[in-house]
Amino acid sequence: MNADRLSANKKILKRPHWINRFLEGWSIYRKNLLGKIGLVLLIFFALMALSSFIPPKIDPMYEPMAGVDPEISKATAPSMRHWLGTDFIGRDLFSQLLVGARIAFLVGISAAFMSVFLGTAIGMIAGYAGRFTDTILMRLADIIMVMPSLLVLLMLSALFSKLSIWFIVLFIALFRWPGVSRVIRAQTLSLKHRPFIEAAKVAGASHLRIIFRHIMPNVLPLSFLYMTFQVTSAIIIEAALAFLGFGDPSTVSWGMMLQWVWKTGHMFKAPYWLLPPGICISLITLSFYMLGRAMDEVLDPRLRKEGENY
Amino acid sequence: MELLRYIYRRLIQIVIIFFVILTILFFLFHLAPGDPVSRMVDPNLTPEDAQLIIKELGLDQPLWMQYLYYLKNFLTGHFGSSFHYGQPVIDIIGNRLPNTILLFTTSIILSAIVGIYLGKIASWHKGKKTDTLMTLGALITHTVFLPWMALIMIWIFAYRLGWFPITGMISEEVWLNPNAGVWWKMIDVLHHMALPLVTLFLIHFGSYLLIMRSSMLNTLKEDYILTGRAKGLSEKVIRDHHAAPNAALPVVTSVGLSLAFSINGGALTETVFTWPGIGRELVFAVSHNDYPLAMASFLLIAIVVLLSNLVVDILYAYLDPRIRY
Repeated sequence: MNADRLSANKKILKRPHWINRFLEGWSIYRKNLLGKIGLVLLIFFALMALSSFIPPKIDPMYEPMAGVDPEISKATAPSMRHWLGTDFIGRDLFSQLLVGARIAFLVGISAAFMSVFLGTAIGMIAGYAGRFTDTILMRLADIIMVMPSLLVLLMLSALFSKLSIWFIVLFIALFRWPGVSRVIRAQTLSLKHRPFIEAAKVAGASHLRIIFRHIMPNVLPLSFLYMTFQVTSAIIIEAALAFLGFGDPSTVSWGMMLQWVWKTGHMFKAPYWLLPPGICISLITLSFYMLGRAMDEVLDPRLRKEGENY
Repeated sequence: MELLRYIYRRLIQIVIIFFVILTILFFLFHLAPGDPVSRMVDPNLTPEDAQLIIKELGLDQPLWMQYLYYLKNFLTGHFGSSFHYGQPVIDIIGNRLPNTILLFTTSIILSAIVGIYLGKIASWHKGKKTDTLMTLGALITHTVFLPWMALIMIWIFAYRLGWFPITGMISEEVWLNPNAGVWWKMIDVLHHMALPLVTLFLIHFGSYLLIMRSSMLNTLKEDYILTGRAKGLSEKVIRDHHAAPNAALPVVTSVGLSLAFSINGGALTETVFTWPGIGRELVFAVSHNDYPLAMASFLLIAIVVLLSNLVVDILYAYLDPRIRY
């Protein structure tokens, strides 16, 4: 009995530190029902994104953007040939839906990664440098924060004509960092005067070394948490922009599918076309949101004590 | 007195922020690829008229002079004429502003009040069925894709059931009817407003509910709640008079922080329901390359956002005296 426990402990100690932390976090995460649902949904969407490469291989008419069924030239209801039906010129809706998942992940994750990267860097610099730098950066954050990002993107697409998907991703990132940077700044401010930072200073560490070596590891979990919420808003902004008709014309996204059903006047006639993209956008944002809330609980012990399990 | 000084300070900040936005917009307009003159002058005008407008906007002057012209025109309300409507832009957006404010303020106030109320109830029944249902409902309505929800609302309640009009803000037969009284017209507008209002409400109340719920749970752990219980106050008094007012403060903050998000949603809702507001006008102007109209709508929206931020801040400072110092 005792020997068993001892060997188990040894096994835990042998493992690298980060694996233990991960397993500990996972055991908390596992108890969160909504978090689990979110994770399952996300895996489902990831599978959709991965399988989006298959239909065009089967038949060129399943090409989401360019492929047209030679026998169909209008919106048709679901059939064996087209599982979700076809759109107004005979393109397969199912393969469009699959590609939409790929675009959503692409936009969501890359925009979130960039904005969190920017937000973390700016937040750490503002918090650590203080004074003038801090004031300037935080005022800039204030200005960006009050701007409605979707409408700014609209204005930009008016000026620069059709925006490519990477342009959109970049602008979403440029508009979403302030929220992250505020939180990271607050965290940095509370770390700045802790003894271990003072010790590093006395030992002669440079500012850059203190920021990257001593402050960054302590704020990264928080940035990671914010990333899930940023993914949600990035997906929504891209979808809304595409819905209004200003998406990248060379990609098929869920927002674009909704724009087509709306603009071609099929929304009352073709529920098989109206429902799937909307459900997908809503569910993917919901699942990232639930993932974020569950991770919040893993990272913030105060929330755990309340015994919230959803 | 402190409140006044606080408002004064915030007003100055707002003017500076707006000036920065104005300047950035000017440079974007002039540095974007393409000819800035063709962007500001209606392509359908005769060369003489075009020359007149170029003079008026100072487009034949060096860049810095143009900037001064731009500021002067903005301050005197000269936004040029819309390409599409052929009317002065200021008239069009002045016409649309009240509609936007009506829909926007009603939806925000309604969703904040209901969110606070339901959040309070959810926290009180923490862990029970009521709480689970409310939290789940809030999560779902909060993350539904707004334009899609708007389309579904139209599909079900306007098209299938026919309870509400599909588009617009007024019906002509009521407003052209000389016998129609003010009440009749008001009911007509409300009838048109119901669906967009409910859509915006459903999107917003969820996040307020969730914030109120967790803020309430934190407040209930405070010592003064324990004191209240020790004094023998009833649970209802503790909940409604001691905990809720303090717990509602973070909701007010979040209303302020989510204003930009709400404006985005407002523009989408207006577009889908063809509600004649500024957001829809901006979307319309951008898709028709009507630059003067787009620019003016954007600036007006920026003013609306900044001023509503101010209102929220004042409300917060009024509710929480600690902020004023």
